[in-house]
Amino acid sequence: MLNRFIDTVWGQANALFAWRRRRWLDLLVLVALVGIMYGLVIVGREWTGGQRPTVEIDLRLAALPKYMLLSIVRAGVAYIISISLTFTLAWWAAKDPFAERLLVPILDILQSVPILAFLPPVILAMLAIFPRSNIGLELSAAILIVTCQAWNMIFSFYQSLKTVPPELAELADTYQFNWYQRLRWIELPYATPGLVWNSMVSVANGWFFLMTAEAFSQGSLNFRLPGIGAYMQAAVDAGDTTAKWSAILAMLLLVVLLDRLLWKPVMAWSQGFILDENLRPERPRSWILDVVRRSRLLRWIEEIRSEWLLKRIPRPQALRRVMPKGPEERRRAAGILAAGLLVILLLALAIAGMKLWNILALVGPADWARLFKAGAASLGRVLASTALATLWTVPVGLWIGLHPTVARRIQPVVQVSASYPVSLLFAAIAAWALKLKVGLGLTAVVLMILSTQWYLLFNIIAGAQAIPSDLREMGKAFRLTRWKRFTTLYFPAIFPFLVTGWVTATGGAWNASIITEFVSGDGRTFATFGLGSELQLATAAGSIPLITASSLLMAGLVVLFNRLVWLPLYRVAETRYTLDR
Amino acid sequence: MNLCELKGVQMRFPGPKGQLKRVLEDINLAVRYEEVLCVLGPNGSGKSTLLRILAGLLQPTKGEVRWHGEKLRGLNLSVSIVFQTFALVPWMNLEENVRMVLRARDLPEDEVRAKAAAAIQKVGLEGFEEAFPRELSRGTKQRVGVARALAVDPEILVMDDPFSQVDALTGEALRQEILDIWSDAENNPSSVVLVSHSISEAVLMADRIAILGGTPSTIRTVVENPLPRPRDPRSPGFLRLVDHLHDIIASAELPDVHVTAPKPEMAEDVIEPLPHAHTADILGLLEFLDTQQGGSCDLFHVVTHTHVPFEKVLTIVKGAEMLELVDTPRRAVVLTQLGKRFVAADMDARKEIWKAQLLELRLFRVVKDLIELHEGELNKDELLHELAVRLPMENLELTFGTLVAWGRFGELFAYREDRGVLTPE
Repeated sequence: MLNRFIDTVWGQANALFAWRRRRWLDLLVLVALVGIMYGLVIVGREWTGGQRPTVEIDLRLAALPKYMLLSIVRAGVAYIISISLTFTLAWWAAKDPFAERLLVPILDILQSVPILAFLPPVILAMLAIFPRSNIGLELSAAILIVTCQAWNMIFSFYQSLKTVPPELAELADTYQFNWYQRLRWIELPYATPGLVWNSMVSVANGWFFLMTAEAFSQGSLNFRLPGIGAYMQAAVDAGDTTAKWSAILAMLLLVVLLDRLLWKPVMAWSQGFILDENLRPERPRSWILDVVRRSRLLRWIEEIRSEWLLKRIPRPQALRRVMPKGPEERRRAAGILAAGLLVILLLALAIAGMKLWNILALVGPADWARLFKAGAASLGRVLASTALATLWTVPVGLWIGLHPTVARRIQPVVQVSASYPVSLLFAAIAAWALKLKVGLGLTAVVLMILSTQWYLLFNIIAGAQAIPSDLREMGKAFRLTRWKRFTTLYFPAIFPFLVTGWVTATGGAWNASIITEFVSGDGRTFATFGLGSELQLATAAGSIPLITASSLLMAGLVVLFNRLVWLPLYRVAETRYTLDR
Repeated sequence: MNLCELKGVQMRFPGPKGQLKRVLEDINLAVRYEEVLCVLGPNGSGKSTLLRILAGLLQPTKGEVRWHGEKLRGLNLSVSIVFQTFALVPWMNLEENVRMVLRARDLPEDEVRAKAAAAIQKVGLEGFEEAFPRELSRGTKQRVGVARALAVDPEILVMDDPFSQVDALTGEALRQEILDIWSDAENNPSSVVLVSHSISEAVLMADRIAILGGTPSTIRTVVENPLPRPRDPRSPGFLRLVDHLHDIIASAELPDVHVTAPKPEMAEDVIEPLPHAHTADILGLLEFLDTQQGGSCDLFHVVTHTHVPFEKVLTIVKGAEMLELVDTPRRAVVLTQLGKRFVAADMDARKEIWKAQLLELRLFRVVKDLIELHEGELNKDELLHELAVRLPMENLELTFGTLVAWGRFGELFAYREDRGVLTPE
């Protein structure tokens, strides 16, 4: 019976694979499906279940799969929320000029703010709203992940909608596609490659934050959620080496599996939507995608859809055709709706602003002075970590990027390491460093480097790969020395990419500062002076004015730094050192 | 009664600096039943705008479109467009590309499939249904474009310079196939409107040829083409008509009246627009005239000898004429005395002549004065603003690019791109 079912689903793959391998794959898919269902059921139970004072983490190995599953489902639910937000907000911003003028700057600020700064206030708020069930904690984890995932996806989709190639837009005009046809046939496919790439980055980000959110505890207050992050934290607290290593390896396995079974096929599939007509020899391929494409299930669905289309009688939209609304009229109708929504949004913001003002008035001048000093200390750490990471990533990135064979071999390794949520390791590394009597201030810098170096490395590799071969040959032909080649050619060429890397890396480092400046392990807590530890201490003390002040200060610092330092650098990079003109 | 008629159509677009850019002025043009009408005109003459007005995609700012004698309101479902750049959706296979436009018309699915199959069969692409655009040659892509346009059964098939991106041989075949499809009197399309750059293409295909030109564009003239079909491009009648059209276009675009001579009655602040010709091209033209043609050549011989498109040659010649390096009596391009001296000179002397000639032009004098007025640092935006006032019809960015290139070559001024300022050399 099972065999027959499997045959219907994957029968066409026969020609490609030996039967044993095929069965293995089928079983894996089935197991994954059952697992996800099971995970949804337990998460549902968790959500509705009454709140327990502390979540007991079962450190036995047998319990690990359950925790992994819970984490996966949480990440999945957050991703679904993020992608829905992406479609609605980006589409709205792209189609309605009024909304565009307001939404884009708001989103721009939101994406540069260190989201983790809002973890403590969000958790406290959620617990206040849902005092009696776990849903408050689950929701705050979901909000946290969504707020770190959604922005770059929204921007990617918005950019794609705004840059649909003019001839395709004109095609849609000439043959009178309605909005849905335009979205499905033109805009969505065009946006797919960018959206897939950003989804990958976002999900990796999501894991980083999920690990933190699950393990979050504050002195006597325990906000842990059952999941792999909490499992790890519990293992570190208990000093259980086996549990610690199995959690680390389990996460690695998860990341590799996601890369192979999900991202690889999706990436290969999305290549079909790239406009560039030149077939590149190194198109990403995936054997899983090949199998799925040949699967009988897919054809079966295709056939059903085709049948359904034949039977369907289209709703005639003759009215729309005879008197098409002028662009002005349409804009006005959409404008009224948008204006209404925006007024509500602005009102909410105004009320929130007034509340904030009242809260902030409670923070004394001495507290402000300490917070500012702490901010300077954290800023120093952030910059130091970025500088140190730049030192090693520039030569390595150039070496990888300039040697295609190396790049091909190393890229997958780099990709997997980059999507591994290092936040899982923070507690373990910090505990270990403290045992070696290394100060937490220094450890924090190391942890920041660990979590942000990949952004730099990726960007530098991309930059090095973009250097045209004629320029490189010029360098060789004129016998420039290695150093000369680096200073006159390679460094300026990767500079724009480096700036992009710096912006994301410092953003990540700020986030990391919140969890690295204040660490608990072996039943003790260690803190170093900084804005992140101030925030944690304020949370432990339950002081809402201090929490608000420090998270706002951090957000403000980042935004200010972006505007004053990164943006001008970016301009220089764009005008002076760009290679595409 | 005509199938379709443009009456007194005027079109304006808001420009980047707030001024209104007039593209079309007082266009009166009829599309008759059962004819091929060709619209000839240089780039930027509003051909595409004209097509879009015809299809009801754009509302003219003045005038109206009549369809079967009645005023057209909104979109015209009986017009379909074949695009110059094909506009195939790269992620859909050939069949889906054709079906898509039928689905957009809310036809039942069985009809969609039947009509798409018929259209694909009409252009001879059965068997290619599953192919994706990236697998197809340009010629085949344009065939798909034609199939897609025919699928919706239009009364007028509008073709926006459809063969310019296709190689010569395929273009030849496609032209003939379009004529065959059109001449089947039983079926649509009743008429074809073709926009083209190529004079011989127009003579080969069209019953009537409308010549568009000027800023803003108007219909200069409509020429009837009485040649019997099928037409032979080497027959004397064909060549005579091509020649006649050459004359009309040359006299319209390069009037024998000296364009750069200062006209006292002209308003003070009006400047002659700059043809967007590259300095290297102007130099090339002068060298070509000097070394290969003994100093003078028929305008259309330049086109055939250099394989540079007609329009581009026209722009280059205009530029050289503006600098008084060539003269254009009727259709000939002749090196002037100055031009001869220029070609014979070395690079430094050439730059001297160039600079002196630039200063003869009002535009460059104005720019030079402006730079001095701004103490040696003229902002790009400021200049653009000035240009917008004085050259209301022109594409500002293009004009600016040409201005900088000419000025740099003559070492009249320098442009610092990173700061966006013009400085004296």
